[in-house]
Amino acid sequence: MLRSTLLRLSTAFFILFLCSPSRAATLEDKVREHQFANGLRLLVVERHASPTFAAYLTIGVGAVDENSETRGVAHLLEHMLFKGTKTLGTTDYAAEKPLLDKIAAVGGEIDRLKNDPAADRKRLKTLRQQLTELQKQHRRFVVKDEFSRIYAENGGTGYNAFTTKDSTTYLISLPSNKLELWALIESDRMKNAVLREFYTERDVIQEERRRSYESNPGGMLYETLIANAYTVHPYRNPIIGWHTDIANLTLAETREFHRRYYAPINTVIALVGDIDFDRAVAMVERYFGDIPPGTRVPPLAVVEPPQKGEKRIHIDFDAQPQMAIAYHKPTLPAREDYVFDLIDLILSGGPTSRLYKSLVQKQQLATRVSTYGAPGARYDNLFVISAAPRYPHTLAEVEQAIYAELERLTREPVSETELDKARNRLKVDHLQGMQSNNGLARSLTYFQTVAHDWRYLARYQQVISSITASEIMQVAKTYLTADNRTVVTLSKEETQP
Amino acid sequence: MSRLRHLLPIACLLLVACQPPAPRNPRPEQLHYPPLTFRVPAVERLDLPNGIRLYLQEDHELPLVEVSAMLPAGSVADPEGKTGLADLYATVLRSGGAGDYPPDAFDELLAERAIDLSASSGSYTLNLGLSLQSKDLMIGLQAMSDMLRHPRFDPQRLELARRQALEAIRRRNDNPGSIAHRTLRQALYPGHPLGRVETRGSLSAISREDLLAFHRRFAHPQGLWLGITGDFDREQLLADLRQLFGGWNGDAARRPVPPVTEKPEAALWLADKPIPQTTILFGELGIDKDNPDLYAVRVMNYILGGGGFNSRLMREVRSNRGLAYSVYSYFQIGRLLPGRFVAGCETKSGTTMQVIRLMREQMRLMREQEVSAEELRLAKESLINSFVFAFEDIHDVVAQQMRLDFYGYPSDYLASYRDRIAAVTVKDVKRVARRYLHPDKQQLVLVGHVKDFDGKPENLGLPVRMIPED
Repeated sequence: MLRSTLLRLSTAFFILFLCSPSRAATLEDKVREHQFANGLRLLVVERHASPTFAAYLTIGVGAVDENSETRGVAHLLEHMLFKGTKTLGTTDYAAEKPLLDKIAAVGGEIDRLKNDPAADRKRLKTLRQQLTELQKQHRRFVVKDEFSRIYAENGGTGYNAFTTKDSTTYLISLPSNKLELWALIESDRMKNAVLREFYTERDVIQEERRRSYESNPGGMLYETLIANAYTVHPYRNPIIGWHTDIANLTLAETREFHRRYYAPINTVIALVGDIDFDRAVAMVERYFGDIPPGTRVPPLAVVEPPQKGEKRIHIDFDAQPQMAIAYHKPTLPAREDYVFDLIDLILSGGPTSRLYKSLVQKQQLATRVSTYGAPGARYDNLFVISAAPRYPHTLAEVEQAIYAELERLTREPVSETELDKARNRLKVDHLQGMQSNNGLARSLTYFQTVAHDWRYLARYQQVISSITASEIMQVAKTYLTADNRTVVTLSKEETQP
Repeated sequence: MSRLRHLLPIACLLLVACQPPAPRNPRPEQLHYPPLTFRVPAVERLDLPNGIRLYLQEDHELPLVEVSAMLPAGSVADPEGKTGLADLYATVLRSGGAGDYPPDAFDELLAERAIDLSASSGSYTLNLGLSLQSKDLMIGLQAMSDMLRHPRFDPQRLELARRQALEAIRRRNDNPGSIAHRTLRQALYPGHPLGRVETRGSLSAISREDLLAFHRRFAHPQGLWLGITGDFDREQLLADLRQLFGGWNGDAARRPVPPVTEKPEAALWLADKPIPQTTILFGELGIDKDNPDLYAVRVMNYILGGGGFNSRLMREVRSNRGLAYSVYSYFQIGRLLPGRFVAGCETKSGTTMQVIRLMREQMRLMREQEVSAEELRLAKESLINSFVFAFEDIHDVVAQQMRLDFYGYPSDYLASYRDRIAAVTVKDVKRVARRYLHPDKQQLVLVGHVKDFDGKPENLGLPVRMIPED
């Protein structure tokens, strides 16, 4: 889930040096950049306080780039890329390959037949038995989770990956003498990935879906909100895919997604920590330099049509009531997006913010209220308000109290004090977001991917400081309207609003 | 001839594949690494005349300062009938105003400068945090000092905090994981504060006078530990601290910690909830930090379920069978009292019993068979080589040293950690598995849709207790 907080936490390099003139270097001096002949981009920040570094490799392709046949494939592929390569994760790839091909053939045949009501049930059963038998035979070639083992024995921590609507990221932190190990493994993963144990991993993802969305009221509320706020745009689809999407994604589709998009031209790497820039460039050239550039992820043609009236959904779930309200808004680098970062803080940034003071402290209608941006940033997105009532108060009371505060935003300009407070918060959040190697690496790859240039960060504070109270009022008037909102409530049947 | 015909196309393919010669990656084992130079960073420790312990480390990379503080007043000593006292104290200490500032003004003072000031209660300590720009350091320290020396415990803010805590009780069964973990804690520490949870009654019984008494007893300079890192000038900071905290004197009462005496009977705790996935938790009492088996237990648990994809639980339950997304085990090392061992997982309703059997089997194997030399090597190398990451963040380093001293860890704990891990043998692993893992006598918690399970919970060999709904 992408939050506007991420944006706030990660946009401060420039400010840092503005507010502390003794530290001479600007962000642009600190971040060193190299683009290789094949289009791969490398960003390095040298920090030698601790003999460690964080490595982020982000591909600018995510769930938004799927179609109705392949929903969930970006995330499934991310899982599959932990399964090894032609040299890692296998005892002998040459011997393993024929068996993998057979598994793919039988598995593909099952996937083709299983949803066809006219399919021969007996044949399907035989195929399933065959698949189980082949998978069993395959086990002897599998070296389990070898990436994970190699990184672990070399002191790696935080070995992980995540898929968003906009992008897919692979990350690890290592002791600083292990740079070459990182380059070897990650380039091998891009060049020689072998998608082993595919059908088992689909089941793992079904469990992930049950855990994060189907058994979790907050997850279900969020998924329902996003799925209903958009009518056309693929931002509406859950990153993980719906249940039947996951069950029917094929190995061929997954492989094709990798072949098509995992290419240097769509990739940015950030290395932050005890790293020497020149050495890093040479190392990345040596391991990634021979990969063909590939083709760019194409921009989507689809545009979400303007919403013409409130959408309202209720979910019946065995949990105490909660709700979320989403408004369509432009994404970065539109000026409105910066305005919403300020609105976000004015409404819900800490105990002196408007929604907190009104709903939680004064009227005591709500037990919590928060705001954030979702679900991505490459395309126009949503401003979301989320809240939970305090018993015996109802969702309806909370909703009305929220609207009263939004209406106030459209009616009177915010005070200079409030504006200053929000600007200060952004400044400090940004500084704090740079404290860790991880945070810095994440920000750099994130903005390079969604804003197409990490220097977006350098201009951020300047734009923020130019935004006026009347501009905030205007943006609130334009976007925080009843026609532009989607409201989702969740509660047990007997406490329905 | 016929043989030759077969070979020819293959030979052509090989030629094509070999031209041009693609650069071949070495195997990871073939790489050579420069040596890693790493020293455990030094942290300056000193005492102020009134007994405040100080841990300092300057760091000027960013114009920020971080402060962590502790008082020996954890929730473990909440009196029976007033469970939630330490939590409520911490909340209202922060939100109830301080010094000349009523609550709203105090919040505003901090918010205008984006100063983060927090208070929370742990089992054994009250924890304070302060995070701000270095130019606001004096204002932030003054606020912290006011909060510790002159808190106002505003009655309206107390009522707000109490109502919020009551609402949290209403909401604590919303997530299966929170039901399961709460139930396990209650089951492991029956009759002990570590096993008590807040109730409507206990929260309603807490008065403002209780908070004041708590404060009079525990908020004293001799009990205050302060760790400060970031962009400050040491001499100036010491002068400021003497000004802010000088003239504040008082005795250092440590909140008493009652011993854990009762050993719980094994049981199956069951909550029936209409969700498609079951949360499974196994648990039993584990070890505290003074236990010499600490290092062997860490290695053993890495192999069982602490080592992520390199652990047996992950391999058997997730990787080989696709039965779960998350499966893990950990020993929560008790700092003063025995902590808990927990093994957990979520799986669809229809494979609940299968996963329970698998997890029990993995624990049993740890007890009955020696782990392989390769598993031992991997666990030890991973723990040893990732040790450097405990020192990546300077504030973590200082806060860690402060905690180690507060709880009386041996002075060579960090320096000898890697050697002690390296000394663990295959036999040690089996010995501690036998001693600390009892798969048939553990508490087992299941939260899920019972009618969809692949078997009857009664057949698991444990007395079944239904988790009461609030």
